[in-house]
Amino acid sequence: MVEFNRRVNEYVDLHRKLEGKLPALASDATLEEVDAHQRALERLIQRARSNARQGDLFTKNIRALFRRNLYRVFKAPEGASLKAVIMEENPGPIRLSVNGRFPDGVPLPTVPPQVLDVLPRLPTELEYRFIGNRLVLLDVHAHTIVDIIDNPIPD
Amino acid sequence: MKFCRRCALTGTVAALMAIVLRLGAASAAFALTRQSPAAPAPAAAVALPNREDSLKFAVLGDFGTGDRPQYELAEQMEKLHERFPFELVVTVGDNLYGSQKPDDFRKKFEIPYKALLDAKVKFYASLGNHDVREQRMYKLFNMDGKFYYTFKPDKQNVRFFALDSTYRRPEQIQWLAKELESSNERWKIAYFHHPLYSSGDRHGSDVDWREFVEPLFVKYNVSVVFAGHDHFYERVKPQKDIVYFVAGSGGQLRRGNIDRRSGITAQGFDTDRAFLAVEISADEMFFNAISREGQVVDSGVIQRRKSE
Repeated sequence: MVEFNRRVNEYVDLHRKLEGKLPALASDATLEEVDAHQRALERLIQRARSNARQGDLFTKNIRALFRRNLYRVFKAPEGASLKAVIMEENPGPIRLSVNGRFPDGVPLPTVPPQVLDVLPRLPTELEYRFIGNRLVLLDVHAHTIVDIIDNPIPD
Repeated sequence: MKFCRRCALTGTVAALMAIVLRLGAASAAFALTRQSPAAPAPAAAVALPNREDSLKFAVLGDFGTGDRPQYELAEQMEKLHERFPFELVVTVGDNLYGSQKPDDFRKKFEIPYKALLDAKVKFYASLGNHDVREQRMYKLFNMDGKFYYTFKPDKQNVRFFALDSTYRRPEQIQWLAKELESSNERWKIAYFHHPLYSSGDRHGSDVDWREFVEPLFVKYNVSVVFAGHDHFYERVKPQKDIVYFVAGSGGQLRRGNIDRRSGITAQGFDTDRAFLAVEISADEMFFNAISREGQVVDSGVIQRRKSE
């Protein structure tokens, strides 16, 4: 996990540096202003990471570790119900790309606390989300996909 | 903490008439003449006294669907507000479902609750598992950018603690312990998304989360806890002297999902949407759970917990 945390920190450093270039959002910002700010940050990040590839943060070793941890959770007695909860609002397989915008209008399905408990803790800029059977690392401020793990949920 | 059914104790026709006259609410009157087929028969509806200096608020959870049932329940809240001017609403999470772009905030929050927002009713949100965490920046949710926070309304001696039950970080628990310990208010009320106690067949009691926070609630005299997540209304029998509510049918509904074999249900309603209307006056908390049709499906009075 040390390696993953290092990569996450590098990403967040970049995120914060780029976000710092944008005018700060007022505390009473309108929804449109928040959205415009998000899209401006998205553009900056996409430009700065134009060479981003799947696996930049979720390297082979890290993917294996995530899969092992998730296997334990989903094969435990309550695993089936956790899976059902995740799939409740899950849009199923849709086109996603690393460094691309998370598709507008697509729900952000839940990640149960029991699953979050076995994943490395993230800074507030990032979240895990399951889309179909893919684990997405989402930049919440920029609404962009930082990285993806395919098929992390065991059958 | 003591729970009593005031009308069950005093239960005379005259008292019930007084209730209707005092509240003047169609919902209360309705409860005396008709009740939900799914809800166990309440002894009688307990009135919200509607005192001038009391703290009045509503509790709403799992609501932001943008669908008709959410709007219809919002209309009931609006109707109640005309007679029972609650000044705030606490939300127990899943404030928006699905897409959460600016238009969604309008369709799933600002439009259905427009009358309340126009009347300066303040919503104090907590986040659920379906919520984008950036909702904490949305000014109408009054979270001030925080995942967990506390506030004290102007009226009565009450402090609320809004928690984040999805991301259960140790620093939140430390913060909660410190805040509860330093709080001198008579009423301490916690609210968040995942219920410590629930008879939900789908989710049920969140025992992991309970291990974190219940010892603090017990130690520091929290009287009442509101949660959602399971899509129905339930009042749980007092647990370690604390009354727990599940108010997770503000828009969503999981029909027939209360498992009454759990043995913890004091009252449940899982056939339609519902919200809670609450009034605190001195050491008493009056509550009415109100359905989409305006029925009072549960009511009662709770006495605050007091230090040993």
